Amino acid sequence: MPELLLQFEGISKSFFGVHALQDIAFVLPKGHLLGLIGENGAGKSTLMNILGGVLQPDRGGMRLRGQDYSPRNPAEATEAGVAFIHQELNLFTNLSIADNLFIDRLPRFGKSPFINKRAARTRTRQLLESLNLALAPDTLVDRLTPGERQLVEIAKALSTGAEIIIFDEPTTSLTAGETERLFAIIQDLRRQGKSMVYISHNLGNVLELVDEIVVLRDGRVVDQGPRDDFTIDTMISRMVGRDISQIFPSRQSVPADETLLEVRGLSQPGIVKDIDLTLHKTEVLGLFGLMGSGRTELARILFGLEPFERGQIVIDGVVCDGVSVRDSIRRGMAFVTENRREEGLLMEATIVDNVGLVALPTFASAPPARLLRARGLRLAVTRVAECMRIKSGPVHRTLAKNLSGGNQQKVVIGKWLMSRPTIFIMDEPTRGIDVGAKYEVYSIINDLAARGAGILLISSELEELVGMCDRIVVMSKGEVQGAFERDEFDRERILQAAFKGHQAHQRGGQ
Amino acid sequence: MDSLDRQRARGVAWRLIRHGLLSENFVLYLSIVSFAALYLFMPYIASGRNLANISSNMWPLLALVLGQMFVLILGGIDLSQTSIMALTSVVGGMLMTTQLNPTLFEKSPLWGILLSPEGSPISGTALAVPVGIVAMLTVGMLVGLLNGLAVAKFRMPAFMVTLVSMMFFSGLAIYLTKSENIMYLPGGFMMLGSGEIGPIPYSFFVVFALGVVAHIVLKHTVLGRWFFAVGKSIRTSVVSGVPTERVIILGYVFSGFCAAVASVLYSGRLGGGRPTLGQSLLLDVIGAAVIGGISLFGGKGKVLWALFGVLFFVLLSNALSMLALPFYAEPVVKGAVILVAALLDVARTRLMAREVLA
Amino acid sequence: MEAAVGMQKSRGKTLVIVLRHTPLILFALIFLIFGVLSPRFLSYQSFENIVKQASYIGIVAVGMTFVLLTASIDLSVGSNMYLSAVVAGLLIKHYGLPVPLAPVVCLAVGLLFGLVNALAVTKLRIIPFVATLGTLWIGRGLGLWLTKSVPVEFPEGVTQIGAQRLFGIVPLPVVVFLLIVCCAAVLLRGTAFGRQLYAVGNDIEAAKKAGINTAQVRGMAFVICGVLAGLGGFISVAQLGIINAGFGEGREFDAIAAAVLGGTSLFGGIGSVFPGTLLGAVLIQMVTIGLVSAQVDLYLQPLVQAGIIFLAVLLDSIRTRQLVRLSRRHIRIEEA
Repeated sequence: MPELLLQFEGISKSFFGVHALQDIAFVLPKGHLLGLIGENGAGKSTLMNILGGVLQPDRGGMRLRGQDYSPRNPAEATEAGVAFIHQELNLFTNLSIADNLFIDRLPRFGKSPFINKRAARTRTRQLLESLNLALAPDTLVDRLTPGERQLVEIAKALSTGAEIIIFDEPTTSLTAGETERLFAIIQDLRRQGKSMVYISHNLGNVLELVDEIVVLRDGRVVDQGPRDDFTIDTMISRMVGRDISQIFPSRQSVPADETLLEVRGLSQPGIVKDIDLTLHKTEVLGLFGLMGSGRTELARILFGLEPFERGQIVIDGVVCDGVSVRDSIRRGMAFVTENRREEGLLMEATIVDNVGLVALPTFASAPPARLLRARGLRLAVTRVAECMRIKSGPVHRTLAKNLSGGNQQKVVIGKWLMSRPTIFIMDEPTRGIDVGAKYEVYSIINDLAARGAGILLISSELEELVGMCDRIVVMSKGEVQGAFERDEFDRERILQAAFKGHQAHQRGGQ
Repeated sequence: MDSLDRQRARGVAWRLIRHGLLSENFVLYLSIVSFAALYLFMPYIASGRNLANISSNMWPLLALVLGQMFVLILGGIDLSQTSIMALTSVVGGMLMTTQLNPTLFEKSPLWGILLSPEGSPISGTALAVPVGIVAMLTVGMLVGLLNGLAVAKFRMPAFMVTLVSMMFFSGLAIYLTKSENIMYLPGGFMMLGSGEIGPIPYSFFVVFALGVVAHIVLKHTVLGRWFFAVGKSIRTSVVSGVPTERVIILGYVFSGFCAAVASVLYSGRLGGGRPTLGQSLLLDVIGAAVIGGISLFGGKGKVLWALFGVLFFVLLSNALSMLALPFYAEPVVKGAVILVAALLDVARTRLMAREVLA
Repeated sequence: MEAAVGMQKSRGKTLVIVLRHTPLILFALIFLIFGVLSPRFLSYQSFENIVKQASYIGIVAVGMTFVLLTASIDLSVGSNMYLSAVVAGLLIKHYGLPVPLAPVVCLAVGLLFGLVNALAVTKLRIIPFVATLGTLWIGRGLGLWLTKSVPVEFPEGVTQIGAQRLFGIVPLPVVVFLLIVCCAAVLLRGTAFGRQLYAVGNDIEAAKKAGINTAQVRGMAFVICGVLAGLGGFISVAQLGIINAGFGEGREFDAIAAAVLGGTSLFGGIGSVFPGTLLGAVLIQMVTIGLVSAQVDLYLQPLVQAGIIFLAVLLDSIRTRQLVRLSRRHIRIEEA
């Protein structure tokens, strides 16, 4: 029987009367990799924050190597050998790798305050080598890719002598290659006897990696067991609490012949090259590619956020000159960006202010005065919120920052719905939201298509595109590498197209 | 039971205090309470003359704060307001003055071109005052335009842009007049700043109109919502189709306009075009805005808050001068007040967070 | 596409190098321009003058750099200079403080002032802009109270210190300035505290999670700024010999301008004292003296100065945006 390393016993935690965790109990055996899954709000982060010393439980406790373990702050957790690799990396972009790794315990010359840079560099090099990272210790983190930064975070965890490592959504910003490398390192760490907790919405990855799975729902453990007891479907149904026979709602419409958007030979040096694309009415067009393939850049160019040097964008048969967001919106375009916190929402504003942001002029009198019809706006927003099932307090009082990820994404989509677009570009619309909300977003997409809009759906989850789209266009290294009709959807071929230009890579599904 | 009653009374009192503290009108309550407290010691404070004094100090300062508020809501700052005051004061003065002493002004670069011992080409005519005022307002808006362009189009940090503006335009004001004050302004102009209808000064009407316009724009127009949106997240605003550059430029133009209005009122009251007008006011403006509750981070602000902030600030200065405290007490008290105001703001934010989650 | 991308890359690289060294290039440019306009400007005397006059504000600017690095600001340095000098001056006049102790008093008052700022920001959680605005007023008020607005004269002993020359050549103010720059540079680059300053300015939440005592780091920055403001006050007094009620007024903006011109970001995490702030402080003074040498109208000088600072800030903005765009430009190549 493998040695029990970490035990959770009856952990409970409430925030202002709301139960976040109730009676959590499970064990993490030494050298095992445990997958922790659950919808957003199920309590995964809260539990890990308790493990990492950021929060303290109201009842219950933990035992580490048989001893009582109750860290009062992250430093104590680190000392006990627990390292928490957050989803948002905590690296300082203006400092070097070496500085980042040892920022709180830089090696010094004896008792003087002066840093022994050579020692720091050597130790950094050793750590980087153990992770197969060929980087100079003095490299500024600014210059690293997200994948490299993630590995630096892991190096940081290892440098503190961590025995237990928690990974919170580690692959969201990684390329496929970087994900491979991460998984190899994880296997390596397991061989070294480290124990790990892996939190992810990517259930395929979880199944591939872990030894055990623990499912959280509404703050309780609803299921746990060895990996082989689970399939993706069972994981989802345990997470959601009901049988979801379908992840994707069925499509009700078929693409029309009428063209909404046509892209001819679009090029911007260094970013995209010779892009040809057509989007029809009532169509859901998928845009697939690995990270860095230029999909988001293309979307931004189409919407008018970035310039382009050659080619044409034709909307409704009219060639567009000039690049301008306001022109695009006027022509019926909408753009749900991949980073709702930075470019999709006004975090400190109410739902009404957010949802009404694009369509504001339509709720006002004529320019130049443009007096607002506040009540009309509020009513319209309330209707949209109901329609999209946004769960929150009153829409004119609830701030966007207090909403869950799923509700936030719905607010962003709702904002664009109010401008009645015909061309809807959505970049990773289901990133970071839970399964229930995902289904609702898919239903909204179907609905939009059925009513005559054309949707350009950008995603790095192939499953999602296969389940939702009429056609999939594949990009790689800034160019279109292939297009597939619905009846030709073949994961192998699509992935091959996505990897074109790199070494050929066989990876079955996700 | 006696102690239970006492406890209940304490509970009610505490709830009242909490309600007052959390209220948006907090600074107003504070002003009223302070005024009442001071009245107990100095009944003179409520005399007609003193109230008139308070009032005449409030309106020009409020004009400045209204303009600064728009820029603060955008998440910026306008350090050049006082130098706009100085420059417009000089421009207006030069156009409207009826007499210029040659020994003082012959070194001015505009001597011979625009200026002569009789003043400018239009002095003494009926046009002088209206043209002078229009010129002042236009110059204020032009400087605001320059500020806005630098911040919006060149994406330069507002602090540095308006700091440089401040240096440049106050330098310009001094250059044009060789540091001399321009006197002998026409009575019609001075009326605006110092005249009154009954107990109410003209400056009140001017600033009241300004305040009403500002309030309507912020609360009831699309432009107002755009101001707040840009202040809360400029990137989201850009993606959502808000004409961010135009909005930012308008904010700074309005700030410049308000500074020019304040200049009209102050110059009228002081009776001259002064190249050093308002030099010490800048930090007062920001202090009053902060005390009123306008956030330095952007995205928040109300005309009423500006009013309350200015009210409190002016009451404070008034009380200090009434108490016949030595002049150096004023900066000390001002500093203490702004620190206390900030502390209270921190306490209020914490209280409010707890209320929301409860 | 490969060849074109390659060419783009090398062109991009030169641009990056130019952009990263904007303060230095600007410095050289202005030096050359004034040198051409007036040969007198290129004399050693002129250069010594520049650095000497830049010294006191340069010292204050070094302190300001520490604060700016943590994404804070200190508006009270002008009042700090005034109060420190006032206390020293009055102690000399009324309590017979020996002249050599005057700088010590200035440092001590500066330190206390900085400590008050530090506590207001870290313990009372008041934002730096407001906190230092408050201490700006309180400090000025205290100084005015102590002096009753009467100018404070310093004995000859003090101005003699200011006139001293190391090895008979280098003026004392310059020596002190350069010494401070050296110490500050070593502190920033070679100690954990220095590295943590940059970390806190870059991402304060991450710094807390990494176990850095952010309150202590931010507080120390204000204390250092206060000490250096006091020192700057003394160095200025040592050259003037007398201070009036307006001493130090507005110097906070000069210090901020010097730091920003030297490449320090108002948003924290970016900046240096060497060459950064050193160049910035000397650059501003160079423009002032250059304008005098070129016999520009006295009244026009502030205008030209403002114009040049505007140009420098404009170039800096362009630089920051270009650097961001260049680093984002090329699609990250997928690894095999």
